[in-house]
Amino acid sequence: MTRILGACCVIVLCLCRAVAYADETAERLQKLEATVEKQSKTIEKQQESIEALKKNAEQKQNQVGTQESKEPLPSKTGGLFGGSAFANPNISLILDTFGYSSNLNDTELANWGIPGFTTQGLDQRNGFNLDSAELFIFSPVDPYFDLYANLPATESGISIEEAYVVTTALPEGWQVKGGKFKSNFSRLDAQHPHAWDFFDIPLPYRAFLGNEGLGGEKGIQLTYLPILPIYTQIGAEVLQGDNDLLFGSDAAEGPHAYSFFVKSSVDTSDYSTLYFGPYVLFGKTENANIIQGEEVTANSALYGMEAVWKWKPAVREALTIQSEYLYLTQSGNAMEQTSLVLSGLERRQDGFYIQGIYRKNRWGIGARYDMLELFSNSFKLAGVQQNFGGKPWCETASLEFNPTEFTRIRLQLTHDKSDTMTGRTNDEAILQFNFSVGAHPAHTF
Amino acid sequence: MRKLLFCFILLGAITRPALAEVNVVATLPWIGSLAKELGKDKINVTVLVKPSQDPHVIEAKPSMILAARKADIIMYDGLDLEIGYLPLILESSRNPKLMPGKTGNFDCSQFVKVIEKQTTVDRSMGDVHPLGNPHYHFSPSNVLRVADGMARLLAEADQANAGFYQANYKAFADHLREKEKTWHSLPLAGKKFIAYHKLFEYLADEFGFQFIGYMEPKPGIPPSAAHIEELIEEMKRSKPEAILVTPAYGIQEAESLSKKTGTKVVVLPQDVGSMPGTDDLFSFWDKVITSLQ
Repeated sequence: MTRILGACCVIVLCLCRAVAYADETAERLQKLEATVEKQSKTIEKQQESIEALKKNAEQKQNQVGTQESKEPLPSKTGGLFGGSAFANPNISLILDTFGYSSNLNDTELANWGIPGFTTQGLDQRNGFNLDSAELFIFSPVDPYFDLYANLPATESGISIEEAYVVTTALPEGWQVKGGKFKSNFSRLDAQHPHAWDFFDIPLPYRAFLGNEGLGGEKGIQLTYLPILPIYTQIGAEVLQGDNDLLFGSDAAEGPHAYSFFVKSSVDTSDYSTLYFGPYVLFGKTENANIIQGEEVTANSALYGMEAVWKWKPAVREALTIQSEYLYLTQSGNAMEQTSLVLSGLERRQDGFYIQGIYRKNRWGIGARYDMLELFSNSFKLAGVQQNFGGKPWCETASLEFNPTEFTRIRLQLTHDKSDTMTGRTNDEAILQFNFSVGAHPAHTF
Repeated sequence: MRKLLFCFILLGAITRPALAEVNVVATLPWIGSLAKELGKDKINVTVLVKPSQDPHVIEAKPSMILAARKADIIMYDGLDLEIGYLPLILESSRNPKLMPGKTGNFDCSQFVKVIEKQTTVDRSMGDVHPLGNPHYHFSPSNVLRVADGMARLLAEADQANAGFYQANYKAFADHLREKEKTWHSLPLAGKKFIAYHKLFEYLADEFGFQFIGYMEPKPGIPPSAAHIEELIEEMKRSKPEAILVTPAYGIQEAESLSKKTGTKVVVLPQDVGSMPGTDDLFSFWDKVITSLQ
């Protein structure tokens, strides 16, 4: 019995042991699993940190890369004035050519002056005309001067319309221009004919200065641009006075023409600008182009006022309205060239023009109205007021097609009533072609 | 004596703010925006060109000349983009500080990896840019390089605030790198587009998409009927995602092309501020890049 009990006990014990053993295995397994989990987590963590490190390193490498390439790349040779023009100046050629038709014949055109103002006729002839091929050269001379030259080649030869230098290093807003240049005293005079909004110059300019305006004059110009709330440029010029309508080469020895001008400008909105200013041009006159057969010797002063308003509402759309008023005083003598009779001459005459031009995309339309003796028509020869038959006037319409900024095709119709003595009309139709090649300096406002 | 001292202090107080600010003139809106980003209130920025204007056809207004007259530094895009007005402004400004070769004359393109440099070029090819494509402001990586050069220039011009400009550059660079991650995660690579004008080449370069044609037959020349016919054939073959235009011009033409082909028109700002919500460089790039998806 005790044996049986003992065996039972052993069995029970064994069983218990077995149970205890099984319990131990499960526990171990659990522990193992936990350890593995822990380890894998650690590995994961390590991998994460490795990746982060890698990323950091990459970023750093990138940064180093960009830092290196951030150094200025080798600078180009052209600089501001374009091209690889270190040894060569910028050169451009502007071809100005037109077809012309008038009710007047060529002889009448050559004698088409303005009675009481000028005896100089028109240069254009019926049919094909070549105005000029203008050669422009410009370049910085050195850090102190820029040089400009304008050499129009016409059928009668090449001439020097302009050749001058402009200072670029004077302090405090001063600038000096010297050589032969187109005076900046007035709006149209400063512009080159190819930049005019119409084929020809308006009547007041033709009447007081000639077909080309004052033209290139030898001399010196001083301008000053002070820091003011609005743009204001003040200028003065001393000129030789070669213009053969307002002045004359033989009027005096040495310089005998002077100008003063002020140009101001304000932006009237983000898209529009007003530009205006008074001017005076005065000096000694001696020429035979004012009155037929008489040589005039006088002191002259031409006062003027210009105003331009430009509106550019969109990328390729612009409206420009421009007007100038000119007033001439001239007192001296007129000498009849055949009889040598001398009589006193007193002139107080004025003139104005107003023009508008609207351009959109490649097209432009324009209109202009010119009139002389608006308020003043005093022309006294030997104290006697001369009668030339009324106010000369002229109206003009134009249509432009500009395929690119380098080509301009313009049709202009003009109804010119400036010959007040005979009352004839000059009805003109002009088809003008303007081409420019090469590097041309930017046009002023 | 005390009164005199007071006068000097007063004089100092009046003149100092004028001395402290660097007067910067920037030709284009994005350049002004970048300068403002780096200079903040320490600099005074005047931008010459309006965001809606075409930078190719700008006229030198007297107000621009006056701005240049007052400037310490002029910053411009370069690559002859401003050739039509900048030389005239510089000469008329009568300001020796801005002349080429001086530190006040800052050509942003000197830091740029320029694409499309032309070896042989004449004007029969249209309004091409011989020195390379100047519209690099679409490329964030190039603008970052310009920013670095600009910060160094400002630091040199205004040494008292050198640290300020460098810190602003760092902040700008960090923000840009953060943004670039988002932009580069967009699936733009391999996409095909049509554009009105050759304007977005740097963008295509940077984000790996391409242009299969342009509505202008040659840069600056308006589309002709024959050219559009060819373009339609090409579009049928290669099926571009969209026609890209700017608000300034080309929208009408693009819309008529869109009607014929079914390809959508996407209007992108040409510069900072030329569309609503593009008032700084980041929002400008955001608008441009997200519009391409």
